[in-house]
Amino acid sequence: MGALLRSLQGKRIAIVVGSGGVGKTSVAAAIALSRAMAGGRALVCTIDPARRLATALGLGTLGNAEALVPPEAFTRAGLASTGQLFAMMLDVKRTWDDLVTRHAPDAATRDRILGNRIYQQVSGALAGSQEYMAMEKLYELSTERDYDLIVLDTPPTAHALDFLEAPDRILDFVGNETARKLFAPALDAGRFGARLLQVGTGFVAKTLSRFTGSDVLSDVGDFLGQFQGMYDGFKERATEVRSLLTRPEVGFVLVASPSPLSVDEALFFHDHLRTAGMPVAGSVANRVTPDLWPFPGPTPGASPLAEALAAGPGSGGADGGLDLAERLSLALSQHQSFAHSDAREVERLRRGASGPHVAVPRLEGDVHDLAGLAALAAHL
Amino acid sequence: MSASDLLDRRLVVVTGKGGVGKSTVSAALAVLAARRGKRVLVAEVDARERVAPMLGGRPSGPVIRPVLPGISTVNVDPRHALEEYALMVVRVRAIYQAVFENRVVRFFLRAVPSLAETLMLGKVLHEARSEAHGRPRWDLVVVDAPATGHAVQLLGTPRALLDTVPGGPLRRDAEWMQALLSAPDRTAVALVSLPEEMPVTETAELDAQLGQGLSLPRGPVFLNAMPGAMFTTSELDGLRGLSPSAPPLGPAARAALLQGAQRERAEAQAVRLRELLGRDVVPLPLLAADRWGRRAVERIADAMDGQV
Ligand SMILES: Nc1ncnc2c1ncn2[C@@H]1O[C@H](COP(=O)(O)OP(=O)(O)OP(=O)(O)O)[C@@H](O)[C@H]1O
Ligand SMILES: Nc1ncnc2c1ncn2[C@@H]1O[C@H](COP(=O)(O)OP(=O)(O)OP(=O)(O)O)[C@@H](O)[C@H]1O
Ligand SMILES: [Mg+2]
Ligand SMILES: [Mg+2]
Repeated sequence: MGALLRSLQGKRIAIVVGSGGVGKTSVAAAIALSRAMAGGRALVCTIDPARRLATALGLGTLGNAEALVPPEAFTRAGLASTGQLFAMMLDVKRTWDDLVTRHAPDAATRDRILGNRIYQQVSGALAGSQEYMAMEKLYELSTERDYDLIVLDTPPTAHALDFLEAPDRILDFVGNETARKLFAPALDAGRFGARLLQVGTGFVAKTLSRFTGSDVLSDVGDFLGQFQGMYDGFKERATEVRSLLTRPEVGFVLVASPSPLSVDEALFFHDHLRTAGMPVAGSVANRVTPDLWPFPGPTPGASPLAEALAAGPGSGGADGGLDLAERLSLALSQHQSFAHSDAREVERLRRGASGPHVAVPRLEGDVHDLAGLAALAAHL
Repeated sequence: MSASDLLDRRLVVVTGKGGVGKSTVSAALAVLAARRGKRVLVAEVDARERVAPMLGGRPSGPVIRPVLPGISTVNVDPRHALEEYALMVVRVRAIYQAVFENRVVRFFLRAVPSLAETLMLGKVLHEARSEAHGRPRWDLVVVDAPATGHAVQLLGTPRALLDTVPGGPLRRDAEWMQALLSAPDRTAVALVSLPEEMPVTETAELDAQLGQGLSLPRGPVFLNAMPGAMFTTSELDGLRGLSPSAPPLGPAARAALLQGAQRERAEAQAVRLRELLGRDVVPLPLLAADRWGRRAVERIADAMDGQV
């Protein structure tokens, strides 16, 4: 077992983070897979719009509920598993709707919120909403189910901090007194007044409506008004979710590709996790070009290669050999140039991030089935 | 439209999956157009600014700045776009500050469907049609647009506004924006992809969304980072037996085999992409560059020359 998996052994929750396309979903699934193969009950909760994971796990589709990967799928892939692997795909909108349904005081309030245009925007497209719901779902799963390990795959976040700050930002808005009074001046016009922003709510609202139309404003007012009664429940929940993330049973796994931008992003996230007191379980540099020339001195030119070719069995004529040798020399030097810049970034990640570090080579072909995931897991 | 008149448009929007090379392609298009004597603006949209640094300059931020002869850059962000637009509407800075610089209002503005997108797109499109001294201010505006999902949202805003806003200044803006975006003689959307499974799948979906979905004029699809064909199949077969050899031959054979396998996978994805799109693509070479900067961009521009 590799260093990362060892560091996750005592954890009940692993959260896999990193910039877009670096292999978060694959790493998350590989972590869960290896826990299952070691006899545990493991769940991977993903946000993979391309639905690749379902295919990789041999499931038709993934939904908002957990599905057991059939034991036959393991047998077919030539793997022996003594545990159970579950997978699910987070449905952001559904999770929001469930949350509203849980906290709404009555059916009428619930329906009004679910039908509100601003609510639909907030629960659907708004930046941070996916991240918030990922944490919410994680909390629900960790308190209501008995998995040995839950692995949370995270959305391709453009800005790492969105993940940590999303709940606060969204709650800040829905629970904001100023906001409520601004957009629903009619609610308590008496107690409020022109103090707001020194200009007055009416004026602010009027100015804004020149941009957005007044329908939008009244939607917002309505949304915030309806939400008011549920705010405390939401807030309490968010606080619990946040404190869950600082417990020692949780481990964040940073994934990066060996490129400057991706490593920057991972290190940036790392530092913020540390500041926020959230435990880092380790880092993964994924799809690393292997070093084929670990010797001092430059890669060979064409002539030593031509000589070696000529000496070897079944070598071509001297001419063809030289032409081939030139291209071999070029291929090796280009390969090494990728390997060196990768190695530089891998090293930067290793030094900058705390906890164990593993480098996963670029595997042949995509990681598109259980066997591929197992091959990836072998490097973790 | 054939790829060869791309740079004669006034507006070229570049988009694709995250990390595929959108900024690189945008920068290379600008370099190529500047070589042809055009005055070019590259506009990034709410990005961690990449184009100016790639060209060897300082980030421009929200103010247009020249980076190279013939090339200027800008990074449009929602905050400044809002400020510019709001000041046009309310005219008084104190009022602007009181209303729009409030934290709550800011969040609200982000939650309002499409407002930030409209303002940023409006700023960029405004540059593409603005004139100075009786002639266009720019011969070409290249938009280094956000990745897939956000780009669709961004480019779809004028249409969405036309569907929902009955009148007023915002609607009038949406009207000219939509007219410019959908004019095939002035505008083209160029996609960037990588020869890998997921990016290819996403590119095909995106192409359909932009074309059939939003009726935007589609330009070429750039297939970036294509490994070259260095070895024939029979050479690779021969090398397989040599890969366990001692150095230098063994490592060189292994490098060649990895290159060959990578090339083969990339070629298969290129074929797949052409089939999914039903049209040809413009390959750009995978470069072994130590620093990703102006020299790399110039080489990508060289590879584009003759193809766009
Ligand atoms: N070590 C590896 N070697 C080869 N291919 C890999 C490796 N790791 C991941 N891949 C492939 O890279 C692609 C992206 O991986 P994955 O979907 O896991 O990334 P992601 O970070 O979840 O992406 P997104 O940010 O879009 O959700 C997939 O096609 C996957 O099969
Ligand atoms: N043709 C190429 N050959 C080798 N590497 C490349 C090539 N094109 C791009 N790259 C690498 O990919 C990185 C990302 O490229 P670029 O910034 O252009 O992508 P992008 O699509 O704009 O990314 P983002 O989605 O983050 O804006 C570059 O810094 C460079 O290292
Ligand atoms: Mg993913
Ligand atoms: Mg970019």
